Amino acid sequence: MYVILRIAIGCIFILSGLGKLLSPYQNFLYVIQAYQLLPSWAEVLTAQVFPWIELIVGVFVLLGLWTPWALRGALLCFGIFVVVVGQALIRALPLESCGCFGELVHLKPQTVIVMDSVSLVLTYLLLKGLTRTRKFSLDVYFDNV
Amino acid sequence: MNKLQSSLVIVGVLVGLIVGAKFYLAPKAKKVEVNIQDARAKGNPQARVKIIEFVDFQCPACAYGLKYLKTFFDQHPNDLYIQVRYFPLTNMHHHAMISALFSECAARQGKFWALDDQMISQQAQWAQLINPQPVFQSMASQVGMDMDQLNVCLASENARKVINDEKSLGQSLGITSTPTYFVNNKMVVGPKSLADELKNHFPQ
Repeated sequence: MYVILRIAIGCIFILSGLGKLLSPYQNFLYVIQAYQLLPSWAEVLTAQVFPWIELIVGVFVLLGLWTPWALRGALLCFGIFVVVVGQALIRALPLESCGCFGELVHLKPQTVIVMDSVSLVLTYLLLKGLTRTRKFSLDVYFDNV
Repeated sequence: MNKLQSSLVIVGVLVGLIVGAKFYLAPKAKKVEVNIQDARAKGNPQARVKIIEFVDFQCPACAYGLKYLKTFFDQHPNDLYIQVRYFPLTNMHHHAMISALFSECAARQGKFWALDDQMISQQAQWAQLINPQPVFQSMASQVGMDMDQLNVCLASENARKVINDEKSLGQSLGITSTPTYFVNNKMVVGPKSLADELKNHFPQ
């Protein structure tokens, strides 16, 4: 169960990162701007860097490589998503779609905050049950080499 | 190979794959051509700043962007050339296609900008309706469109094809959201980025 969950969380990050990376960065920049949270220079930087972080965290979680650190990275990302989407909902910002998965999937912010909160809890559980989470992982392979 | 080396190789392979994929999947059309004969264009065709705007008439940000551009155009009428292209987000906005169809039919009667003003200023009202067609018909009548010609145009496959072809062009340019602008062929998404880009061309 833990392994399946780890793979699922990894896939979510990979899908999310890939969707943004394969599209011009201006599309994700537009999504970030809608949240009205960062200064302009930070919006551009986030639009260009964050999809890479999502992809790398996703691949490492999926493969089980540096699993504790990758899961902490995933936990931090989900925490950021919850805060960013939550503040947008509290401020009633006019968001039509969260933009989380680039053009691949359109989700309403209300749906996303629930999904992110659940994912945050599940990632925390994976981190707590690290022994089971690390089954069938590259970490175990390298520990035995 | 130890764990750290393997990790670095994985990151390197990922970067290589993405850069390669971006290269091969990059927008097929590298730039969008300005058509100076277009009925959906206004301004000076020789202007130093040419803007092509892909819009969905039901998108609130497009309404904001169109109003912003209208004000900016009024301040710089000789320095701007603006052209509108269709990019109806039909999976998000139920009235995206019909509003684009009315706009295209208005363009064919030389009434694009007049109808556009009405559509944008009343977007919040008609976007809520189950069927906005009577409202669009009323707007068309108010701006002096020939209603018989309008009905023929609305039923024609050709108007729909123009819209779908422009959307396909937009997709080939990497557009996923509206409004997306090409300011002298530089892709800019959203009104905020447009304002930032125009500041570069028109420093105060």
